[in-house]
Amino acid sequence: MPRTITRRTFLAAAAAVPVLAQATRTKRIAIITTIFRLQSHGQHIGDRFMVGYPFEGEWHKPNTQVVALYVDQKPEGDLSGARAKEFGFEVYPTIAETVRCGGSKLAVDAVVIIGEHGEYPRNEKGQTLYPRYEFFEQVAKVFEAEGRSVPVYNDKHLSYSFEKARAMRDTARRLKFPMLAGSSLPVTWRLPELELPLGCEIGDALMVGSGGSDAMDFHGLEALQCMMERRKGGETGVKSVQLIEGAAVWEAGEQGRWSKELLRSALSRSDNLKGFSVTDGRPQDMVGTGVLPGLVKDPWAYFVEYRDGLKATLLMLSDAVGDFTFAARVKGKAGIQSTQFLLTPDPNVTYSACLARKIEEMVETGVAPYPVERTLLVSGVLEKCLDSRVKGHVRVETPELGVEYRAPRVSQYCRT
Amino acid sequence: MAVKRPRLAAVTTVYRKYSHTQHIVDRFVEGYGWNGTHHHPEMDLVALYVDQVGADDLSRDRAARFPTMKIYPTIADALTCGTGKLAVDGVVLVGEHGDYPKTPKGQVQYPRYQFFEQIVDVFRSSGRSVPLFSDKHLSWNWEWARKMYDTSKEMGFPFMAGSSLPVTWRIPSVEFPTGAKVREALCICYGGVDSYDFHGLETIQGMVERRRGGETGVRWVQAYRDDKFWDACRDNVWPRELMNAALCRSHTLTPARAGFGDVFPSLDDMRRLVKDPVAYRYEHADGLMGTMLLMNGLVKDFNFAASLDGVSKPFSTQMYLPMPDGRTTLADFFNPLSYNMEQMFLTGKATIPVERTLLTTGLTAAGVDSLFAGQVKVETPHLAIRYQPTAQSTFWRT
Repeated sequence: MPRTITRRTFLAAAAAVPVLAQATRTKRIAIITTIFRLQSHGQHIGDRFMVGYPFEGEWHKPNTQVVALYVDQKPEGDLSGARAKEFGFEVYPTIAETVRCGGSKLAVDAVVIIGEHGEYPRNEKGQTLYPRYEFFEQVAKVFEAEGRSVPVYNDKHLSYSFEKARAMRDTARRLKFPMLAGSSLPVTWRLPELELPLGCEIGDALMVGSGGSDAMDFHGLEALQCMMERRKGGETGVKSVQLIEGAAVWEAGEQGRWSKELLRSALSRSDNLKGFSVTDGRPQDMVGTGVLPGLVKDPWAYFVEYRDGLKATLLMLSDAVGDFTFAARVKGKAGIQSTQFLLTPDPNVTYSACLARKIEEMVETGVAPYPVERTLLVSGVLEKCLDSRVKGHVRVETPELGVEYRAPRVSQYCRT
Repeated sequence: MAVKRPRLAAVTTVYRKYSHTQHIVDRFVEGYGWNGTHHHPEMDLVALYVDQVGADDLSRDRAARFPTMKIYPTIADALTCGTGKLAVDGVVLVGEHGDYPKTPKGQVQYPRYQFFEQIVDVFRSSGRSVPLFSDKHLSWNWEWARKMYDTSKEMGFPFMAGSSLPVTWRIPSVEFPTGAKVREALCICYGGVDSYDFHGLETIQGMVERRRGGETGVRWVQAYRDDKFWDACRDNVWPRELMNAALCRSHTLTPARAGFGDVFPSLDDMRRLVKDPVAYRYEHADGLMGTMLLMNGLVKDFNFAASLDGVSKPFSTQMYLPMPDGRTTLADFFNPLSYNMEQMFLTGKATIPVERTLLTTGLTAAGVDSLFAGQVKVETPHLAIRYQPTAQSTFWRT
């Protein structure tokens, strides 16, 4: 039962707690999503703001209230109506009505856009055309019309199209609202707790991932980028990209275009090796034994060349691994720095609680805990890599990817 | 100066996929991920004894692929490499899995003590002892466990034992503050009696031994099961606050409600989800209270919480096991365990006090006794085991 708060008890309580924990008004949130079905991103992020989530050894109830929901599609298993009934909000037929809660004025303190999952067409590059840009534009249109904006979170990449992604970031800048985006990978637990020192000199870097395009490769590229952005001079943007597949990936390794030593180190962080590990449980030195070319039917290598000359590679090796691992050489540090970005199991997917915490932080403070430019750049890198692929795996110059930004001083991944 | 590579013998029950022998012996012969590389132990496992060889046996495959490792028909032959005299520098005893009869109390009679006795027979007849690692609890039988411990002390060889739980990753990666005064410690985990209960107890013990004053031993144990478990939960026989904190570290909470992926369960939810809950509640000599909860149906991981003097919020973490039950393919929590064994074989010094495992072995047996005797309080004067932890933390951080 809520305690009665008198002015005196409130002042006493306020004096006793740190500034951030002081009672603030409950923030009203609108969720704009493609679908709301069990195990969709809409559900597992949206629910965090309804039922809470595990954080620092407590079941944390954010000081937020979901007041409006838009779902673009209602497939079998849709839960939007049930959630609305239980948590006392409306599902509105349009995005504008959602952020206005059916009234005539913007009526929320933050907007969470989750354009992942649902039935949408794919383009010739194999990208699913999730309408994140379109959702965002409708939200921004309301902001613009009313001359008032609130923080926006956008799940995963900003858009399949860099042009649209940049327009989103530009709109956020123009209308001066905090914007956060991206996936759980940069904020989830790391095994071990590796962070590259801010301002370090990175020699070479490799990310290894698993899963298809353009869903899981985004996660790999974003995990890679959250490490690379900490290098000396900060992020300078990307000069060129190239995506190659098949036997060419192994040839590139032989030629030293990506480092076998880094691959070996990254794989040493994997708890999900396939092949013989599945057959009989054995640990494997997949680089040393040379099993990879025979095991991985369709390897993809994503090469990223930064404007400051640094190079990094993402290898998607779905037939060899089932997790996301990273390895890099850093000047002044002995050996290879490596870690696993831990993706915890279904159905809890507790890594999305790490992400929910960051969204909540922005809603609470009005400041995005890390720059949206990270996600903007990664959105562009992914699209240009897929361009490289359709053009015959050629190197693609990327003058438009001159996205410059600085990494946050404080590490943002989950450690507490 | 070149140091001679130690030669090891492994004495095991069964070598099949995902048996402890496969996890451990494979790491010595195949190598494993450690400190960011594929690490090959600087030693050679040259002799293997396998007690039961079934259709799914892997020992023959491994011996064929690693010809330096030979299979011997007896434990004595393995330790002497057929020479009649101890011919190895260290022994790994893995008595987990395989078909062995159960006691009337439901304990599987893994022959760890019998294997141990045969191993020390070779030590005695050779006039020389070498370091020995024994996987999991020392024995299902307390008297035998105590005898194993006493024999190791009498003969003066380094002896190490136990589970991966105290040495695996922690999420978050935390250790008790030095000199922590601990009032209550609790683990919520899963699995069966005389099996994963031991892991839950080792989870707790690997933490609380670092409290102010070190370990003082355990006075009594009481088990709770079924209705008595839920009554005890309701009556706060153990702190609900610590249960909540531990559950908030789990990555595998069964959703209490259809249509949700991650919701916090009420006590009623837990009662509906957990069919055969088991608790061991026990008191240390210095007053610390311990509680190990097996809650099958609610979680599939090992979660720890404790209340510390002077800290308002519970201390909590998950002892993380990458579990090859569909979640991963590799049981990599055997990596830090293998690494600790290697350190002992290289330096001749146990990296973990075997008294920890002696105590958790006794706690497991006392818990089983209490269950079997109708969930009564069992006095444990034999568990007045005092020891100090290692100065350095030994859990996985690199």
